Amino acid sequence: MQFAPADIQAILLSAKVGVVATLVALPLGFLAAWLLAFGRFKGKLLLELLFNLPLTLPPVVVGYLLLLLLGSQGVLGKLLDTLGIKIIFTWKAAVIASVVVGFPLLVRSIRLAMEGIDLHLLQAARSLGAGRLDVIVTVILPLSRRGILAGSSLFFARSLGEFGATIIIAGNMPGVTQTLPLAIYDYASSPAGESTALLLCLVSVLFSMGILLLHELILQRKKGA
Amino acid sequence: MELKLQLRKQQGSFLLELELNVCGERIGIFGPSGSGKSTLVNLLAGLTRPDSGSILLNGQPLFDSSTGANVATEQRRIAMVFQRHALFPHLSVRKNLQYGYQRCPTKERRIDLAEVAELLEITDLMGQMPDTLSGGQSQRVALGRAILASPRLLLMDEPLSALDDDLRYRIIPYLNLVSERFKIPFVFISHSLVEMRLMADQVAVLEKGRLTGVVSPEQLARQRMGQSPAGYINLLEMGVPKERQGLLAFPWAGGELLLSGNAETESGLFELSSKDIILCKRHPDAISARNLLPCTVRSLFEAGSKIGVELDCKGGTLVAEIVPDAARELEVTVGSIIWAAIKASAFRRL
Amino acid sequence: MQMINRIIVTTVLALFLAVPALAGEISLSVAASLRESVTELSDLFQKRTPGVSFKKNFGASGALAKQIESGAPVDLFFAANNEWVDYLIKKKLADEKSVGVFAYNQLVVAGKPGVKIARMQDLVALNRIAIGSPKSVPAGEYAMAAFKKSGIDKQVEKKLVLAKDVRECLLYADRGEVDAAFVYKTDALLLSKHAKILYVVPENLHDRVTYPMVLTVAGSKKPEAVAFIKFLASAEAKAVLAKHGFEVR
Repeated sequence: MQFAPADIQAILLSAKVGVVATLVALPLGFLAAWLLAFGRFKGKLLLELLFNLPLTLPPVVVGYLLLLLLGSQGVLGKLLDTLGIKIIFTWKAAVIASVVVGFPLLVRSIRLAMEGIDLHLLQAARSLGAGRLDVIVTVILPLSRRGILAGSSLFFARSLGEFGATIIIAGNMPGVTQTLPLAIYDYASSPAGESTALLLCLVSVLFSMGILLLHELILQRKKGA
Repeated sequence: MELKLQLRKQQGSFLLELELNVCGERIGIFGPSGSGKSTLVNLLAGLTRPDSGSILLNGQPLFDSSTGANVATEQRRIAMVFQRHALFPHLSVRKNLQYGYQRCPTKERRIDLAEVAELLEITDLMGQMPDTLSGGQSQRVALGRAILASPRLLLMDEPLSALDDDLRYRIIPYLNLVSERFKIPFVFISHSLVEMRLMADQVAVLEKGRLTGVVSPEQLARQRMGQSPAGYINLLEMGVPKERQGLLAFPWAGGELLLSGNAETESGLFELSSKDIILCKRHPDAISARNLLPCTVRSLFEAGSKIGVELDCKGGTLVAEIVPDAARELEVTVGSIIWAAIKASAFRRL
Repeated sequence: MQMINRIIVTTVLALFLAVPALAGEISLSVAASLRESVTELSDLFQKRTPGVSFKKNFGASGALAKQIESGAPVDLFFAANNEWVDYLIKKKLADEKSVGVFAYNQLVVAGKPGVKIARMQDLVALNRIAIGSPKSVPAGEYAMAAFKKSGIDKQVEKKLVLAKDVRECLLYADRGEVDAAFVYKTDALLLSKHAKILYVVPENLHDRVTYPMVLTVAGSKKPEAVAFIKFLASAEAKAVLAKHGFEVR
């Protein structure tokens, strides 16, 4: 049983997409969590529903909606086309699929950490001369570290397993967008691919277990500290 | 400091509406829970926005709904101290103390770290993290942090309520000292009449979102005597005691008071409730109370259903409370001589 | 009382007996590109033969073969190349004696109207090319064979978008998500104005596109399934296929 070059590429691609997606989602997730934890404005409930939507929607639905938006016939897609930017069927699409699908997980975790911060701390900081941005950077960010790390690892794990939305907007392109789940699917559709499919599944399971272990360790350590 | 407020704020079913005009260095805000004290503090600090009105600090508007002026919290230079220290858990004591200092414009900085640390006796705690500090230490650090921001006003929301009794009364001197040394006025909320008497020049009394008056702490204590379960607390400054027949004789005013033999042999401030002073028309004979003081009635006042009797005992003042019936029976009038009988065990060190 | 009881018992028995009557159902697993033609033929047969109904499943030949191997209750299998039928025969899941050729087809390249393809080498200039996944879709296997034979397989490697069946390829072409897609001539007839046939792949670059049909072991025991496969070899059936654009010889 051996790996074909395309299989190694799939594993590496999954890792690359996961890392990039996490880096992209972090600032966005932090901002979203901050809005939901501390914001008081009309339409907050609507925003909350929107951010949580990908969690309950089947990933293929998310993928299809993204395709409608970013495809060559889509509103955003047409605009990007004129700028010469192609999203569909590139690894960027795989990143976008992971970001959208995993976003609720990240926001949820960070928000929880933020809501655990004593309001008096923020009030004290303000009264000592810290503006809103200052408070975010010097108080909120350090104190939500645990939530950020836990949320990131969960997000990364989800991104490694992303299939439904990915296959629709990034397509199955070996070496380009074929991530590990897509490779497994490809092999699983073919009677001759059983053994390789199983092997790749094993890799996937080990990957995920590793991430989840890290996630648990982070939670445990911060709690003890 | 001059503080001029005219505020209106609706929060759900609660309405705060008041007009306050005070001059002083130490203003207390007194009232039962739900009277709007915390709301008022939040409005002063700029954490909440009034529906309408104005806030002027030393003539400078912090908020004015007619002009649309609203100075942001971080620019008001009003530092806050809370009931629970609110020290930043991820920063060391030193970093906590420096937080406000670093954010204070350089030319406005009047106070330095070493001086404050020495005054509050927290120099040894610099490198520690807040979770290793005791309650009293935390509050002193919180106070230091607020002072180091060189604020125009120190705003404190029940700063001593979370502390044990003996600790509480040991922090009060720090508060007064710091305020005097660095010339920082403070406004503080408390529901303790004794704290008001020990810290405030004037007290603004709130009830159900309205200001019912601005009085001196002494007046407040006397007004509340009838309602308060502890009565009026006499605060007595006593000197170093001498032992006498198994009791301790503490010098007080022009004479001395006998306290139980197991009290600490140090000078200090003592509490005596108005309820624990028994009045007699004549010198009582064969009575178990060890303190029998001849006093002159200086004044009488009504306090709810009781009568407050202000007594002059050898230069010192004692306030006792008796029912109107007793007052009539003993024919208590201003200027009359009356005997005060107090048990040695009735005193409590502050 | 007796009368009512008897009615109830009779009704219940009749219901139970009615179930086997549904056994006039023929289950088909059909390669994606045969969708319309097989549907038309099965409808025709159903009208002619009372008591017969069809259950149809469309997809990539490899995926369908896998399903049968995993125990799916299929009576007839239509693949887009011999590989998958041979596979099932080897596994003793299909009846070798019943193998017949259903139709033939041609591999074409469909894509955006402006794209010019005169020969295979022109594909190298394109951005993205959709083919069925070679692991399970015959159309993809034919395409890969064509790439190899024309020597461009390494150059187009990173441009390939794998689809799960030939119809998905068609969809990609139709939506304009790819510049070109390898589909069958018969599929191209279903294209909208967004895409059209750009190039017919020379037949010498790959094995002839053959659609074998075979009865599964279970299907060979059903008289109506046997009757249907016989019908599909008839001249009438061939006429329907020709109408859809298939080659029958």
